Amino acid sequence: MSAPTTDDLHAITEQVWLSYLDPEGVNPFLPSSEAPESPLVIASVSVTGAWEGHVIMTFSEQAAELASAALLGMEADEVTPDDVADAVGELVNVIGGNVKSLLPDGSLLSLPHVVTGDSAGTAKWPATVEICRLQGSWQEEKIAISVWTSKSAGEGS
Amino acid sequence: MVIDDSRAMRLILRRIVTQLGFEVHEAGNGKEALDLLETVDPMPQVALIDWNMPVMNGLEFVTAVRSDERFRQMTLMMVTTESEHGQIVRALAAGAHEYVIKPFTPEAIAEKLALLGLVPSGIV
Amino acid sequence: MALTQHEFAFVSGLVRREAAIVLEAGKEYLVEARLLPLARRTGTVTVSEFVARAQRERVIADQIVDALTTNETSWLRDREPFTAFTDSVVPDLAERRGPQHKLRIWSAACSSGQEPYSLAMLLEESVRTGRYEILATDISTEMIERAKAGRYSQLEVNRGLPVPMLVRYFDRVGTEWQVAEALRRNVSFQKVNLAAPLPQLAPFDVVFLRNVLIYFDLETKRSVLRRIRSLMRPDGWLFLGAAETTIGIDDGFERVVAGRASAYRPRAATTAPVGATRKG
Repeated sequence: MSAPTTDDLHAITEQVWLSYLDPEGVNPFLPSSEAPESPLVIASVSVTGAWEGHVIMTFSEQAAELASAALLGMEADEVTPDDVADAVGELVNVIGGNVKSLLPDGSLLSLPHVVTGDSAGTAKWPATVEICRLQGSWQEEKIAISVWTSKSAGEGS
Repeated sequence: MVIDDSRAMRLILRRIVTQLGFEVHEAGNGKEALDLLETVDPMPQVALIDWNMPVMNGLEFVTAVRSDERFRQMTLMMVTTESEHGQIVRALAAGAHEYVIKPFTPEAIAEKLALLGLVPSGIV
Repeated sequence: MALTQHEFAFVSGLVRREAAIVLEAGKEYLVEARLLPLARRTGTVTVSEFVARAQRERVIADQIVDALTTNETSWLRDREPFTAFTDSVVPDLAERRGPQHKLRIWSAACSSGQEPYSLAMLLEESVRTGRYEILATDISTEMIERAKAGRYSQLEVNRGLPVPMLVRYFDRVGTEWQVAEALRRNVSFQKVNLAAPLPQLAPFDVVFLRNVLIYFDLETKRSVLRRIRSLMRPDGWLFLGAAETTIGIDDGFERVVAGRASAYRPRAATTAPVGATRKG
């Protein structure tokens, strides 16, 4: 089983967008070299068991609100912080679950974890290394999706 | 009945099945759903079940429902990100009837319900 | 070839009126990507030409709205013809032809391949079938290549494919699912333009020609049906889309009821009793 690649992330992201954020296929996620800037909202799921690491989505605050509004069928200025936490948590859960299907059997997915505010800008995942990243813009706002593996697990394979 | 720990996902599924003419009960995990089944009347025709949830996960819920004669008529459809071949086989072996992999479009839910004979295919 | 501003304005106006979808300027590439396969399928060379036709032909305009509002083909969404196929047609043919006969099926506008593979799965599950072969054709080389690969996204396998069939006949390949080799072996693919003289193909027991005739004018419909009839066994079966018929177009076919679906058979066949047809 090969490690997930940026192309895999792109394929998964396209499907998530068509399902939940852009059902008409008129506002696709457009990959670019630009990363989201603070203030950030970070949503992550961890994978444990046969493979160890994290799937992390980083949104500009505005992107997180837009995504939450699209997912929940609300206007962007109506969404509450709780709505954002729930919605981006579900997005990373779906993307993480699809990434997990590329990993060795016997990997388990954690429940999603969402960080906002000042701590989001300085969040770190110790003892891990990034293996692929997709970033770009959606409705002019920046979003990044990355997969990180534990250093110890990486050395073993 | 929609069983998912994500409020956003429950909302999405509620919207889809409401449009198909269903009345919806919601539960945030398998345990809540089992408790709800003791109180609702009539029994739901179909349960849409997430897999990864706190307290009691979807596979445990399917196993519990399948071992209870009272719920024999209820159709069980997993709606989950778990998408490995082996995981799908496990859910079917436990007694799930259908399986939708997240992400899904509204048409996917409607067509699966039609395959199960729960929605006249003309509506889909 | 890029869409002109005028053509794009027509398309965006159309989908806004019909489906309340706003296509902003800058989405020309999306319109082109979605419409090109459709344009090719109707025998139109460019998207511009296709859009021009849409301004005169209501059917084409409807197709554009569909293409810009829905994404994937479903597997067994229209259940009636498939149910009729397994419950009526396959048993009928098994009785007429005997167990040794190899059923020949034609999926005449296979698009990305869901129809021929669905038929193959149904035949695998049908205990009365011995051997079979399926020919899948499409006007688009791109579609033929896609269908031949038999690889589908997660979104595509979610669409009307019963999950027992997914686990039995598909393998997980990266982010996609691929039709198992054993099944793909029974399906062959060929590029065929139904609106032109057809290649010499061996006669078919069953032809699926669903949602194709609607793309053609009356004269073309008539010649397509006549050519297809000439490639069918005299007691074969033809399935059309729910909104299509041979009635008033080609008298060589007779409509018959098969389960809850309508099917069409070459006229002489419907009067011959079971077992009385000539040996093939």
